[in-house]
Amino acid sequence: MATDLLVVEDLKMYFHTRDGVVKAVDGVSYTLNKGETIGVVGESGSGKSVTAMTMMRLIPMPPGKVEGGDVRFNGESLLTLPEDKMRAIRGNRIAMIFQDPMTSLNPVYRVGHQLAEPLMLHKNLSKAEAWKRATELLEMVGIPHPESRVKDYPHQFSGGMRQRVMIAMALACDPDILIADEPTTALDVTIQAQILELMQELQQRTGSAIIMITHDLGVVADMADRILVMYAGKAVEYGTVDEVFYSPSHPYTWGLIDSLPRHDMTEKGELCPIKGQPPSLIQVPSGCSFHPRCPYAKDRCRTEIPASRTIDGSHVAACHFAGDPGFTRTEMACAGVNVG
Amino acid sequence: MKKDSPQMQQEQDRKTAEATAAADTAYDALSASPSRTLLGDAWHRLRKNRLAIVAIIWIIVMVIAAVTADLWVPQRFGDPITINTQTLTADRLLPPQLAHPFGTDDLGRDVFARVVYGARFSLAVGLIATAISIVIGLVLGALGGYYGGFTDTLIMRTADVFFAFPYTLFAIALVAVLGPGFINVFIAIGVLGWPSIARVFRSSIFSVKSQDYVQAARALGASDIRIMSRHIMPNSVAPIIVYGTMSIGGAILTEAALSFLGMGIQPPTPSWGYMINASTKFMTTAPWLMLWPGFAILTTVLSFVLLGDGLRDALDVKMKD
Amino acid sequence: MLKYIGRRILQMIPVFIGVTVLLFLMTAVVPGDPVKMITGEREISPAVYNQIRAEYGFDKPLIVQYGMYLNRLAHGDLGQSLMRGRPVKDMLLDKFPYTMQLALAAIIIEIIFGIGAGMISAVKRYSFADVLVTLSTSILVSLPVFWLGTLLQMFFGIYLKEWTNGAFYLPMSGAGGPGAPFPHWVYLILPAITLASVSTAYAARIMRSQLLEVMGQDYIRTATAKGLSASAVLWRHTVKNAMIPVITFIGIDFGAMMSGAILTETVFNWPGVGNEIYNAVVRRDWPVVMGGVVIIVVVVMIINLLVDISYAFFDPRIRYGGGEEA
Repeated sequence: MATDLLVVEDLKMYFHTRDGVVKAVDGVSYTLNKGETIGVVGESGSGKSVTAMTMMRLIPMPPGKVEGGDVRFNGESLLTLPEDKMRAIRGNRIAMIFQDPMTSLNPVYRVGHQLAEPLMLHKNLSKAEAWKRATELLEMVGIPHPESRVKDYPHQFSGGMRQRVMIAMALACDPDILIADEPTTALDVTIQAQILELMQELQQRTGSAIIMITHDLGVVADMADRILVMYAGKAVEYGTVDEVFYSPSHPYTWGLIDSLPRHDMTEKGELCPIKGQPPSLIQVPSGCSFHPRCPYAKDRCRTEIPASRTIDGSHVAACHFAGDPGFTRTEMACAGVNVG
Repeated sequence: MKKDSPQMQQEQDRKTAEATAAADTAYDALSASPSRTLLGDAWHRLRKNRLAIVAIIWIIVMVIAAVTADLWVPQRFGDPITINTQTLTADRLLPPQLAHPFGTDDLGRDVFARVVYGARFSLAVGLIATAISIVIGLVLGALGGYYGGFTDTLIMRTADVFFAFPYTLFAIALVAVLGPGFINVFIAIGVLGWPSIARVFRSSIFSVKSQDYVQAARALGASDIRIMSRHIMPNSVAPIIVYGTMSIGGAILTEAALSFLGMGIQPPTPSWGYMINASTKFMTTAPWLMLWPGFAILTTVLSFVLLGDGLRDALDVKMKD
Repeated sequence: MLKYIGRRILQMIPVFIGVTVLLFLMTAVVPGDPVKMITGEREISPAVYNQIRAEYGFDKPLIVQYGMYLNRLAHGDLGQSLMRGRPVKDMLLDKFPYTMQLALAAIIIEIIFGIGAGMISAVKRYSFADVLVTLSTSILVSLPVFWLGTLLQMFFGIYLKEWTNGAFYLPMSGAGGPGAPFPHWVYLILPAITLASVSTAYAARIMRSQLLEVMGQDYIRTATAKGLSASAVLWRHTVKNAMIPVITFIGIDFGAMMSGAILTETVFNWPGVGNEIYNAVVRRDWPVVMGGVVIIVVVVMIINLLVDISYAFFDPRIRYGGGEEA
């Protein structure tokens, strides 16, 4: 394939802290192309946000340290780029929006100023041109009365509006990739839907690729082309959205899907969360990190780290038994912890 | 909203996750081993702070030296207070030497002895005046914090009035009005300190009051006093401890300032502030005279400041200055 | 914003009243004979005694006395000096500019060094500079201002003079004037440094903690993610937010500075209001002491009010109040 837009290859990044080594990102791989959306799914602490921050080189090093792997943007390695070249990419070619819109905007600057900042920095626009563009951006993300709103301060906007402003700010320079780190988690349910709709619409228009980081399978079902499921810093399953949803091959993915309340449940039906807690990233369980919570775990799972097994084409899963004929969901992950 | 729409599912996802987390926490709490108490935890953290430990040791040394002063000072160093007009001129303004580690003053008294005796007064003021402030501050802060409304407004407005006065200036004015002498110094400094304590305590109370577990206690029928003592006090105590410790340092500095201006304890009883004032006349002839009382004040106050810092870190108190 | 200013002024009024009450109580409810506060220890004839009693209303109820006190204050009557016989107001107003000079110089030092040290210490956290700043601020905060003053006097006024054979030294006392060896401003140096010392230490600490707090905020992460350089993030985003509480601190600290001025002026014999107050304490000239206190308190209150109001200018959340719209 012609150079992929973004290639993440076996990326490893650990934090070296006083209490021990935190294996925050421990072997993540995926590819992203123009116009595509990938959904990175996992619980809190799975490393999904940290992976994105590592790509953008926003992790302070120390205590962080890249222990292996690479991230290539248009063929060029991001991890070894000199800082000034990286700065030219941030906010410009690759942009990021964060989880909490209430605190992600600087309270002492007008919204127009914050939108104009990347434009003046990366595109060399004059202040007047940048502010004009800022107004256009506000309109693009659906903020009413943009000409007057552009002069307002962040505290004069509601949460949903602020997130729209964040999106506008990220898209200001027409980035090739937009990284959205849990963009809707802090918002009301109804606003969530609006924001996601907006993002899809904008993607159609600008053709940028999106990395959607979330713990919510429902969010990615609609938007993503591919899905990466992460657990304890590792990628446990990767494939197209259809493959992952209709042919999930890793017990953790099964657990995630099972834990979604089904619309055909009766009132008396029980909810089925995955038993147990995500592991501490300092003391990752031996072998397969999911084995303490996996109903299918065998002895092998305790001792051997599973390699990534190909199920079908690019659909892979990191389980010893993934893809084996007959290895299908028989037990619910909530039915009992297999301490094996 | 359609029942199986994405929004509904997301909402339920979240509820599920929350329910799981809550259940797990409760389970962990029930089965977990007994954790250390708040104080135990704090003490453990404090022990790691080397500066704070040095500060504590120094304070203990000084307190012991000051309290037992009568037993060992006059015997070795002579009377630090009485003026003996018969002292030989040769014995006056001696530089530091073996018999007189800090030298002698213009009246032949041993300076080390005077510094130690000065410590008694300074430490006493620091501790007692701060204690007075804390008592008044706690009572008023509690009344305002717990009852709110008019009581609270009244108390806070009064505190504002006190805050409008610069601290040392107020002390000077009060002592000017009450007259010099050590009891008045206690009163002046003690009375001035309550607003800060009251404010800190009151905001503690407010933030604790709104916590769910207090509402829960009330719903269970607990009386006001019980809620105060069992729930609010333990959680509000930490900032008071920190602030109180630092106030001791401030009280000592203020007392020194008053003594320097001649408004504190009257000579011939030694007080550090006064000693510094008196020593300026001998800047050229006996410069060391100025150093000892100053260092004494510096190290004493510094110890309380470092201790306060350490306590703040150990108790993990977030205080906005 | 006008609402904010209005509210602030309104809140000031009861405090102001309370302050005058407190000041009044201090002069009125003294142990001993209040007439002595006015006349001192001198012998006075019964006629004069009674005249004073009537004039100040010592036989009338406290409320009436308070009213008379307020009336006198409003007319700028701060009483008569016991020793000099001059109106207190005239004596003090002469000295006022000197104290203001001192305070201004000290504040400039405080801003430059306090904010500077705080910034270095926060940006280069855990470095040697940070440790140095943290330790020296702890020490400065525990240092008696008057002791520092005398030490500086000794070093710069006496020893430096000796070591350089009189070539280089700083004046130790007074404020210069015609025929003095140095121009007026040189006399300001040591007192200003002394006065600024404790405030600078506090300012540095607050700047440091504010910067650290802001640096941990989400919007700083956003700024970095937009591709801004580290220095752009620091100066344009971090510092601008951290400054707000620091500026208000400096304003509020002005009051403490006035207290410190008394001690500093005494040590350096700087002819300001503080020095007058000290001399008055020594001579037991109580009207002058109380008069000086009144002047200082009034100035401090005005400055505090101005600082409060200026807060609105710095923080757009207050300037443009306004809650959220959907």
